[in-house]
Amino acid sequence: MRVIIDGRECLARRGEYLLDVAKRNGIFIPTLCHSDALPGQSSCRMCIVEVVEGGRSKTVASCVYPVLGDIEVKTNSDKIRRIRRTLVKLIHASSPAGKHMEDLLERYGPLPENRFEVAEGEKCMLCGLCVSACEALGTGAISTINRGTAKEVAPPFKEPPEACIGCGACAHVCPGDAIEMKEQGGIRTIWDRNFEMLECTGCGEYIMTRQQQEYIKAKDPEGTVELLCEKCKRKKTVDGFRDAFKNTGF
Amino acid sequence: MDCIKQGEGTTFVREILDRYPKEQRFLLAILQDIQKRCGYLPREALELVREHLDVPLSRLYSMATFYKALSLKPKGRYAIKVCDGTACHIRDSRGLVDALEKLLGIGPGETTEDGRFSLETVNCLGSCALAPVMVINDVYYAKVTPEKIAGILRRLEGEDDGDI
Repeated sequence: MRVIIDGRECLARRGEYLLDVAKRNGIFIPTLCHSDALPGQSSCRMCIVEVVEGGRSKTVASCVYPVLGDIEVKTNSDKIRRIRRTLVKLIHASSPAGKHMEDLLERYGPLPENRFEVAEGEKCMLCGLCVSACEALGTGAISTINRGTAKEVAPPFKEPPEACIGCGACAHVCPGDAIEMKEQGGIRTIWDRNFEMLECTGCGEYIMTRQQQEYIKAKDPEGTVELLCEKCKRKKTVDGFRDAFKNTGF
Repeated sequence: MDCIKQGEGTTFVREILDRYPKEQRFLLAILQDIQKRCGYLPREALELVREHLDVPLSRLYSMATFYKALSLKPKGRYAIKVCDGTACHIRDSRGLVDALEKLLGIGPGETTEDGRFSLETVNCLGSCALAPVMVINDVYYAKVTPEKIAGILRRLEGEDDGDI
């Protein structure tokens, strides 16, 4: 499938999402609620682009727009830039204290006077990436609750979530740095729950919570959970290779 | 009506669950049945649904707080819904809510202490020609004025045999 993005011809598989095609070809499209590891959510709308197909133009969220025909795409037209500026104003009003604002203000700021009511101190823009990460990597311990202006991300009954394994995936993917996760003396605190951290058997660095290890074990009862950090894992692999090739003359 | 407190236990939840295959698509239907039977979704019931369908509790809580038709708090024996959709709003549905608040001493989302009345506002009942509309249990009251409310409540109390 042939896609022309900002005048450049790119190849795409049928059904591939526009954002992925652009990324692969080194064309920048801004995103907030997107993680390459998770399906597109189209909730922040920052990745909108103009798609021209059969002489007609439409505005779509590129993270969930599958390429199904030969199309022309404009990622940075006047229209798109204008809409994005409004989006930035809205996102600023909903979550002015979020970490994502630093980058947005640098790229789109300073913002003209905001006619929207600003939620001072709020870090969360309700993009839902944490919920999606928890469903995919964790245990579905958190979700969005309520609706409309009362909507928020929280564990059931707003209590420390029983289902949480303390993996921290939610805090890790959050573009706003809105989920508080603290580690002190081998204890990780997240969602008002404390988790005991386990050490890497190689270097002693804290790598995962005990509940996380148990969760992995339960998922794959035959496998063994190796308590090694990324660095020590790599070292072990390299050492293994070296030993294997030691006496072969390579 | 608090089914669990009344000693009925959670057997009614099991009865409802037995009627549905263990498939997630029946989740909303199950919650609606429990809501209808019990007037609200007791926490114990949610735990049983979670086990039955093997869905995270967070999903159930998310649904229970999203839909206006579902409630986590016990509703009153007379569940009063005041429509605050566009048509009702411009015909002063707020005045109805104010009158009810004054008469019952509760705000939207609350239940009177004796468990008799609960009050909530809903966004549109699709009966705009009757605006402003109020629904008590399944009875519609059309073109209600704040002055009529005291009479409507009194008539309900007349029907009431008093043992709740």
